[in-house]
Formats: sequence, structure tokens, C-alpha cells
Amino acid sequence: MLRPLIALLMLCAAVSTAAESPVVPAAEQVDRYVALFNQDLLALDDKRRVVTPITGAFDAPASDIARDVAQATWFSLLVFLPFLVLPQVLLIWIIWKYRKRQDGRAPATFTGNHRLEIVWTAIPVVALIIVGIPMWDLLYKMEAPPADQRRDMVVEVRGKTYAWDYKYQRLGGDVPTTRGDQFEVGQDVVGMQEPIVLVKDRRVIMNLTANDVNHAWWVPAFGVKKDTIKGRYTNVWFTPEKLGFFKGQCAELCGQGHGIMLISALVVDEADFAVWTETQRHRADTARVWSALSGTTVDAKALEDAVGAYLLKGSSPWRLFSLRYWIASNAASLARKPGELKGEALKQAMLARRVQVEALINRLTGPTTATN
Amino acid sequence: MSDTVPMPPIKRYTGVMDWLTTVDHKKIGLMYFWFVVFSALIGGAMAGAIRVQLAMPGATVEAMQAAALNGTTALSLFSDANGMFGDRHLYNQMVTMHASMMIFFVLIPGFIGFANYIVPLMIGARDMAFPKLNAFGFWLLVPAAVLQLGSFFVVGGAAASGWTAYPPLSLKAASAGPGQDMWILGVHLVGVSSILAAINFIVTIVSLRAPGMIWSKLPLFAWATFFVAIIQLIATPVLAAAVTMVLMDRNFGTTFTIASQGGDPVLYQHIFWFYSHPAVYIMILPGFGAISHVIAAFSHKKIFGYLGMVIATGIISFIGFLVWAHHMFTVGMPTWLQAFFMYGSLVIAVPTGIKVFSWLATMWGGTIRFTVAMKFAAGFISMFVFGGFGGLLLALTPIDMSMHDSYFVVGHFHMAMVGGSVMLLFAMTYYWWPKMTGHMLCEKQGNWIFWLMLVGVLMAFMTMHLTGALGMARRVPVYFKDFLVLNHITTVGYALTFISSVWFVIDLIRSYGRPKVTENDPWHVNDVQQSFEWATTCPPPVYNFEQVPPIPVADQMGKH
Repeated sequence: MLRPLIALLMLCAAVSTAAESPVVPAAEQVDRYVALFNQDLLALDDKRRVVTPITGAFDAPASDIARDVAQATWFSLLVFLPFLVLPQVLLIWIIWKYRKRQDGRAPATFTGNHRLEIVWTAIPVVALIIVGIPMWDLLYKMEAPPADQRRDMVVEVRGKTYAWDYKYQRLGGDVPTTRGDQFEVGQDVVGMQEPIVLVKDRRVIMNLTANDVNHAWWVPAFGVKKDTIKGRYTNVWFTPEKLGFFKGQCAELCGQGHGIMLISALVVDEADFAVWTETQRHRADTARVWSALSGTTVDAKALEDAVGAYLLKGSSPWRLFSLRYWIASNAASLARKPGELKGEALKQAMLARRVQVEALINRLTGPTTATN
Repeated sequence: MSDTVPMPPIKRYTGVMDWLTTVDHKKIGLMYFWFVVFSALIGGAMAGAIRVQLAMPGATVEAMQAAALNGTTALSLFSDANGMFGDRHLYNQMVTMHASMMIFFVLIPGFIGFANYIVPLMIGARDMAFPKLNAFGFWLLVPAAVLQLGSFFVVGGAAASGWTAYPPLSLKAASAGPGQDMWILGVHLVGVSSILAAINFIVTIVSLRAPGMIWSKLPLFAWATFFVAIIQLIATPVLAAAVTMVLMDRNFGTTFTIASQGGDPVLYQHIFWFYSHPAVYIMILPGFGAISHVIAAFSHKKIFGYLGMVIATGIISFIGFLVWAHHMFTVGMPTWLQAFFMYGSLVIAVPTGIKVFSWLATMWGGTIRFTVAMKFAAGFISMFVFGGFGGLLLALTPIDMSMHDSYFVVGHFHMAMVGGSVMLLFAMTYYWWPKMTGHMLCEKQGNWIFWLMLVGVLMAFMTMHLTGALGMARRVPVYFKDFLVLNHITTVGYALTFISSVWFVIDLIRSYGRPKVTENDPWHVNDVQQSFEWATTCPPPVYNFEQVPPIPVADQMGKH
């Protein structure tokens, strides 16, 4: 009795998921996505200038936690400020007022004043209570796990000397968990570290750990920092509230490369995130095509074999898009790196090769693509 | 009556041998002092190496990336590509050893040295309770320093895992060389030295007070030394335990801190900070006590709120043991535990506030002579209030999650340790130098030294707060370009501080050429107070007092 019902429900769920699945971007949009996702382009522009400045939790909070932390900081600063200013002002005033002058004034002789002492013990206590009470709530918001995690994205963050791996354990949102969404990004790159990609207004739960020594994951704009320690998991969560690219640096001394163990995070909207996840899924398969393309000269036979092998494994629109994306993205990264081919020559060569691949795809995927 | 056995002849040395074999607390105190000056110059030079690296054009992430893309190399003192002076590993060694020198060989022995000289005088004793132990404690510092500094010259260089030496970074896999082991053994020796000094101070203050010097007449510097000695006695063995775990894990196959074999790296952090938080009080509380005397002396008044001061010092010493984990809020602890450490840390602000207000009240209504010692005392109050203020924000866990291991923390503790402890040591030196050597320091140059130091500290360490709040991480040899200007300001501030310190050392040396102080009490402290150290000659004779100085009739609170 129950079983068919459940089957029906599951079917409905499947249909609704299928209906909501994102549209494959057109081939022309490849370059837009490369500009959006490629960390090398996000680090420095063509003229080697900084693209995005680093932002902090206090000047430009970019998550719900950072916003709360910034507010709490300004509030505490305000309450505590008299205890900073008053002694300084008093000190200068006393030194001036009671300086030794040739006026024969005798110094005072008092050695205590109980009432005064009670006052300057009690007033700081009151100030601490005023600050301490809201801190309790914020602390529990930051540290106690959120109650409803169904829509959350879950990412395992793994620190290793001197880079970060991000394993997406659950993409969250409307994507059902049963899809077994586990894929990894992260590799040692010259330039910025590969960014963790997050969705605006979707909470991310991070499980942090390390492969070797301790590190700490810290993107100042998000207002969270956690050590990554081998043998345990630590956790943070926050909801990114601003689109954009955010930078950080490892915050726990981890050896020679500590200073260049950079962190980058990219916050995009739902649709772009879907494109990114799809391109990540097929990323590994595109490696062979890229290796056939990336040399100074291209062996047409090897390229045809590589593209053929890629398409044989699947030729869905997403796979085709991913192939185009990764070729364009890798070419863009290559253009940034020192090599035999440089600058405009490299750009032209790469454009020609992209056309070559495009022709191969059209030929190999046959009449269906050709008619489009 | 039996025949008196003649005393065996005691061999007395002179010159260098006299200093090498002395057990006189005053000579040992002076040896501590010069040892500290030496270490401070080395530690300061290491800070210079750090600052020069951070002032290099190649110290920004972007410059490094651009250089990599252009196929060139960015100009930098320590970098993998073209470090003029070695690689980033050496930078980490500098960071580690700067901290180790400053903590273990400057701030802790700095105050111990002063206490060695002054406390027996203050309480009317002829020497410390265990003079030979005292000498042994000092001489242990020498092999300790040789071990730690010498490790720069062994394979793999000095320890490079930070003065905190967190495993797994300090274990064999990440730090293979013997430098880390030498660092640990050095810490052991410093620890033993510290414990011996602590025992000596406790026994001296408890049992060698002059007749009539009851506890309520005990000077605040002696009180502070007493509390600090207790902290040292309790906490230092714990540090030894922590670093011994690392030593064993490194060399003898134990697994205290190795996660894959059942150990726990976080255990080390807890044990380490159980010592190292109280240690920050070891590095400043004696100065708190001493500065009360300086302020009272130059305000021509008695200390305000003596009892409150003593109680506040005691409370700080006690609560200091209950807040260690605020150094590790980001390590992943139960929320209630974080709340406990947050509120515990906040509580420390109260007794600290009592002390600050009491110093101000001591000055209130006095006739203030703004001598260099008084300037440093006032500068200390001002800088320490800044440092403490940063500490208040850091104690708040949610905020610390952003501030931890950033330059805000660096700014905070340098404000407290340079603006605080170092200024205290300078004030104490200007105040007690005539007593210790019989020579005055130059007031005119002292003014320059003070203002240079003050401006330097403000430029260097106030700026660091901002750098950290904007997002710069600690202990990094390269940073994002956005922090470039702030880092340059810090470097200039460092330069001013270092120039001021070197100038100070030069004046110390030159003071020996100046005429001897003839009065017992050149500052006229005892016009208002009755402090024993000013009741004997400058410097005091070997036996300190020809007769027991008259005990004040009234206690420090004015009660008869």
C-alpha cells in the first residue's frame, strides 16, 4: 500500500528536480565563465595589477557572521572606549595640573579612598556585563551547529602544505543529497589558490581538517577562522551575502610556505554555481584534450583521438560545454604564465585551436549538433 | 669551652673571576641586567630582519605573482627565489627566535634581575636566601642562550615552528633538524633557572624580611615579585612538560601529540598555554609593582590604595591560571568552554583597571617631577592602557575568531610587552640605576630616548592593530598589497624604537664614566616614603646595611 505511494513521491521529486535543473549556457558564453571562475584572472589583470583588494570583516563584512561580528565589535568598542580615553586624558591632565612648580604647594598625603576604589571596580564590571551578555548569543550562533541544515552546502576543507582541498560533500539547496555530490577541487597553482565557490545566501557548513601540520582557514571578509588539525574535524558555518571574489591567507604558522598559502573564495549566484559544478564534474576528463592542445605545435591525430575519447564517454550538452570551458580556461591561465609562446601570439594560437576543437566536436557528434 | 678552630682561609677573587664566582645578589642582579641587554639587542636585530623583509618590494603577494608571471624574481630578503639572505625557512627561524629571545632571555630574566638586586634591599635582607642557588640560576641562562642561538649554526638552522612550537610542525616530519631539539633543551634550562629563582624569592620574602617588616609594610615590588614567584613555581614545570612531550615524540618514539597514533596535538596547546598565559604576567607584574614606587617617588606621595594594589596583583595572578585557552579559541572547543574562557579573560580587566586607576590617583595632587623615569612610567600607563584595550576585544570570542593569529594580536601583545614591559624596564633602570651602579643616567639624552621610543611604539604597534583588523595574518613573509603602507609605517616605527634602545645602551655604558653619586637617596624618595633601598649607599656595600634601617612606624596604608 505504502510502497507505490513512496515510489510516486520519489518520481514527482525526480521530475521536479529535472524541471529545475539549470540551462546549459551557449558556447559563446564560455569566455564569460572563464572570466568569472579562473583564479589566475582574478589574481592579477593583464597589466599585473591587483584585480580585487582584500576585504576584512570589519570594513566590508560579506557574510551574516561577519556582519554580526562587525556589529558586535563596534558595539564593544563604543562601550569600552571610555576606558581607553579616560585614563589617557586623565594622565595628561594630571601630569600638567600637578607638575612641580616653584609655588611651595605641598603634595597631598591621602593614601586611599574606599568609595572611589569601589566605584572604579564596579563601573568596569557593569561595562563588562553590558558587553558580555550579547556576546553569549553571538558565540552560540557561531559555534553551536545550526538546527536546520537541509538546505546547507557542506564542504570538507583540507589544509595541506601549502594549499587547500575542497571536497563538496553536499551541494545543498534544491539539489537532493541523494545525488552523492562529492567532488573535489584544489591543486597547487602558481598564482591564487583555486577558489572555493559558494552560493550567495546559501549557508555553507565547513568541516575542516588537515593532512599534515596545523593550518587555519581564514577569509577575513567572512568573519570566521578555524584551525585545521590532522586527526580532527573543526567546523564553521556562515552565509555569504555578497557576490564577488574574496581573499585570505593561512593563519597558523605551517612552515616555509605559510605566507604563500593563500585562500580564495568566490561567491556566485545559483545559476552560475550550477555551471561551475557541472564544469568541475567533467574537468578530469578534459585533461587529455588539453595536453594535446597545450604544446607549441598540435598533433592533429592526437587531438582527434583525445576529443573522440572524451565524447565517447558522453556527449551531453554539459559535457560539450565543459570541454569548451576548460580549454578556454586553461588557455587563459597559460597566457598568464611565462612560456615559449607569449602575449598576442599565444592568444591567436589558442583561438585557432579552439576553432579546431569546435570543428572536431561538430564532426564527431554528428548530424544532431550540425543541424543546431 | 673547647679550642676555637680557626676559620679556613676563604679565597677571594678580584676582577673577572670575582664576577664569575660571585654569589652576591647585587652582582648577580647586574649580570642579569647586562645579559638581558645583550639578548635584547640580538632579539631586536632579529625583529629588524623581520621588518626589513616586510619592507621589501618583493614582500607582497602580488609582486611575487607578477614576478613569477614575468619570469623574473621579486626583490626580497627571505624568499625561495632570490633571497639575499636565505629562504623563507630562515624567516620563520627569525620569527621563532625573536620571540624566544625576547620572552625567555629579556622580559622574564629582566624583571628577575631587578628583583634580585632590589628586593633583598627593599625588605632589609643581607642577601637572597640561597645565594649559590641564585648564582646557579643565572649561569643556567648562559648555556640556554648558547643552545638556542647556537642552533642557527647547525644543519637545518634554528627552530622555525614559532615560539609556541605547536606539533605537528615542531615534530620530526616538519622540522627535521636538531635546531628544534636545541630549542627545547634551551627552554628546559631557562625553566630550571626560572624555578630556582622563584623558590629563592619565595623563601627570601617569607623568611628574610627585616624584623618589623610585616606583610602590610612590604613594598609593592616585593609583593609583585612574591606573586610572580608563585606563578613561576607552579606554571614553569608545566611548560617543561609540554616541550618534553615534543622532545620525546621527536626522538624517542612516543606519541603524545601524534594524531595518527592516538595522540593529540591540541593537548600540547592546552598544556603549553597553561604555562604561557601566566607567563605573560611573569613578564609584566613585577614591573607593575616597581612602577608604583617610581610614580609615588616622583609625585612626592605615598602609594594610593596599597591594599587594593596587593589584592589586584593577587587576583590577576590567580585568574591568570584560568584563562589560558583564550589563546586557542579557533582550535575548536566546546562552546561552553569558550564562554568560560571568554568571561574569565574579561574579568582580568577589573583588577588591571584598579591598578591603572590607583596609579593615576597616586599622581593626583602630588608635585610631579617629570624626570625620565617618570616619563617612562607615564608612557607605560598610556601604552599599557592601549594594549589592555586591545586585549578586551581579543577576549571576546566572536571577535577573536577574526582577530586571532592576525596582526591585531601582534600589535596587542607588542603594545603590552614593548609599550608595557619594556617601558617599565626602562623606567626601573632610570630609577634604580644610581642605586645599582652609583652613576646617574643622562636626563637630557633620556628625554630623547623616551620620546623616540614612544613615537616608535605608537607607529609600530598601533598600526599593527589596524593591519590585523583589515586582515593581515601573523608570521607571514609576504602579504597582500593592500597592507603595504601600513607595513612601511610599522617598519619606520621599529627603526625609531631600535635607535632609541641602542642609544639607551650607549648611555648605560657611558654612565660608568660619570662621577659617583654621593647621596644615599638621589631622588629624595624617602622624604615621603621609607624605602630601605634608599637608606643605604649607592651602590650598597656587600652586606647591604650597616645596621637594620628603621622600620616605618606606619604600614603602607598609613595605619600605626
